Amino acid sequence: MGDLAITRGAVESGVKVAAGYPGTPATEILEGFVDYDQVHAEWSCNEKVALEVALGASLAGVRSMAVMKHNGTNVSTDIIMHLNFTGIKAGLVLISADDPGGLSSQNEEDSRILVHTYANLPVFDPSSAVEAKAMVKEAYRLSEETQLCFVLRPVMRVCHSRSVIDYEDLDQSLFKEAGWEDDRDRYIMSAVEVRELGGIKRPQARHRWLNAKYQELTELFEKSPFNWIEGGEGELGLIGCGIGYTYLKEAGLNFSRGYPILKLGTLPLPRRMVLDFLKGKKKVLVFEELEPVVENLIKQLALDNGLKLQVLGRSGFYSPDGELTVPLVTQAVRKLDPGLSLKKEFSPPKLDLQIPVRTRTQCVGCAHRALLYSLKRVARKKKAVVFGDIGCHDAGSFKPMELQSTIYCMGSSVPMATGAHFAGLQRPVISMMGDSTLFHLGLNGLVNAAYQKSNQVIVLGDNRTTAMTGFQPHAGSGVDIRGAESPRVDLEMLGRSLGIKVHSVDPYDLQGSYEVLLQAVEEEGVSLVIASKACFLQGSRQGEKFFEPTKLKVDQELCQGCMICINDFGCPALVYSTETEKVHIDELTCVQCGLCAEVCKLGAIS
Amino acid sequence: MKKDIAIAGVGGQGNLFATNVLCQYAMARGMQVLGTETIGAAQRGGSVISHMRIADHPIYSPLIPQGGADVLLGMETLEMLRHLGLLNPQGFYIMNLYSVPTVYTNLGIDRYPSQEEIVAAARKVCPRGVEIPATYKAAELGSAQMTNVVMLGALCQLDEYFDGPEVEGLVERLSPESFKDKNLAGFRAGRELARAGDRA
Repeated sequence: MGDLAITRGAVESGVKVAAGYPGTPATEILEGFVDYDQVHAEWSCNEKVALEVALGASLAGVRSMAVMKHNGTNVSTDIIMHLNFTGIKAGLVLISADDPGGLSSQNEEDSRILVHTYANLPVFDPSSAVEAKAMVKEAYRLSEETQLCFVLRPVMRVCHSRSVIDYEDLDQSLFKEAGWEDDRDRYIMSAVEVRELGGIKRPQARHRWLNAKYQELTELFEKSPFNWIEGGEGELGLIGCGIGYTYLKEAGLNFSRGYPILKLGTLPLPRRMVLDFLKGKKKVLVFEELEPVVENLIKQLALDNGLKLQVLGRSGFYSPDGELTVPLVTQAVRKLDPGLSLKKEFSPPKLDLQIPVRTRTQCVGCAHRALLYSLKRVARKKKAVVFGDIGCHDAGSFKPMELQSTIYCMGSSVPMATGAHFAGLQRPVISMMGDSTLFHLGLNGLVNAAYQKSNQVIVLGDNRTTAMTGFQPHAGSGVDIRGAESPRVDLEMLGRSLGIKVHSVDPYDLQGSYEVLLQAVEEEGVSLVIASKACFLQGSRQGEKFFEPTKLKVDQELCQGCMICINDFGCPALVYSTETEKVHIDELTCVQCGLCAEVCKLGAIS
Repeated sequence: MKKDIAIAGVGGQGNLFATNVLCQYAMARGMQVLGTETIGAAQRGGSVISHMRIADHPIYSPLIPQGGADVLLGMETLEMLRHLGLLNPQGFYIMNLYSVPTVYTNLGIDRYPSQEEIVAAARKVCPRGVEIPATYKAAELGSAQMTNVVMLGALCQLDEYFDGPEVEGLVERLSPESFKDKNLAGFRAGRELARAGDRA
């Protein structure tokens, strides 16, 4: 797997500290470090913390890595915008994985803009898992040579690609011992006068340093093994960046003619190499994920050098959103060169059938579904607005449940509910958050709501793990990344320390949960309702017993097809038949939790 | 030589074991192997597609091009239909006769096509294929979770690139001890179902 190739590249480079926060598609990179005893690996509370942990290790002379997905890189922006100015000591590589197409994300974005265009850090954009590993190793070497934090920006198709990866022996001499040397001229980022530079402030001095570094990198990348030109004649040129290169090569197998290709894997760009490539071309077409970053840089380069040619790409020549694909690349090249014929034409089969979309939901047996059901009853009765957050429970905002009215970013639910309350909303406000999100950035909003004397209910769906990304432990799990015992935050005590009301419920107890949630909504001030129950998927795999299995059937006589069980509960094992206009239970899917029997008001499920 | 295999299913059907077995088989032959899958948020009951590419020459894209899959394994009927465009008409498909309704079909907003309609659509695209009750067979043998091993057995029956006894050996070697016998039974059952169902 591409992710594990990145881990291996880091270990072969002597990384001793690795920190991150789970996020598809980067999660497995950090999990991979568990196989190496010499590495301190940690699931940090959030990505900013992770990058700060990695920076601390780097300044202490030890190679380190911070691992996150693009949303996490956003969270880390503040520290990124300082460590770019100070530089680093021992090699530091930040992994910022992107998810073009938003296949497993709340948004799609191109984090090269943040780390390169904004922060001016050097970026490697791998085209494959094999190249990703080579890039990690090169990044550590250059990171120390240039004193800069390097960024690897793999996209999902690189992270989750499977291929043959060669492992090299580990060189123990690379695992350095820690040591501290003060370097206040660099490590103190503050508005203090720099005597040697005529009294300009340090931020300006360090900015000047970073700008000079940028020129150095441009020179360095002229000789980078990750950029090259492939021959071919003609006035039309194709440029493939990162994974864009592989789609271009794949599409090219079907082209009746060849084109000159420029393969790019670094930012900043190797300017002379790019200019060489542009020479004599009338049009070049850039393939990159996801925004026209390289395209715009090449336009600027052409302009600066008085070249007259068209530079085309993501800015409008082909789709400016979504993931690249071979058909998309083929179509764009044909648009560039209408004379191009394909060796094999393929048109997708025309089906006379409408293909229904498939949205995700909670797993069968999940405690979140039970909690969402009780919460929906309360929200409906009290006409409450429910603010949602990130996690498996977010699917409660989709059909059929349609409970949460908002889903934004990590921890946003509680402050948004606070804002809606102080806006004067004449309806109760509730927020729904998971445990891992609470420790990530949710805590700040919780403290703020208490401090501002808000009037709201905060429902914590505590399943003791980061379930959605595959069960990574956190500060409330009681174990660390290696499964060793760790201090566990006591959620009730935490809530009480804020001076707010705290309730605990068992989410599988539908009526009990309903009553407590109702009481919480009727209370003045901030109420925290903690619904603790381990993740069913994880727990049952480990042999934990959640309930007495109850084999249920829907009585076809009693069922009136009222759909309450599907609309308000929505367990995937409940299937509505259009033929009988009644519901039945799919026995192969059902885990026999028995909850739907309580949901049916007609007593048809027993 | 190249062999592109697409596996379409619903999150939680566990394609990973089957993919791993096929990877090991190809790698033992010195083949290039490249593939990708949607995991993460897609795993909670969403649509999941795995691409697995085997070749004796370099492979560039981890994604199988449209119309390029030599084999399409449909772990679920609707997901098979969704990804029919990947299938090469000269290849073949194996369709598990098992349907998981979607939220929208359950609500009556969308219509779930009948299995007959899906089979007809598949045959229109690609004449060679089998429809087998893999999940029901797996459940009969012990657990619906073994669907992927039954499908693997069917694949090895229909595709002579995969040497049945050798893949069976891999299934035995890669299965956890407690599942070994059941997985082997599932694998053999898959071969038997495919043998009976093959029209070619």
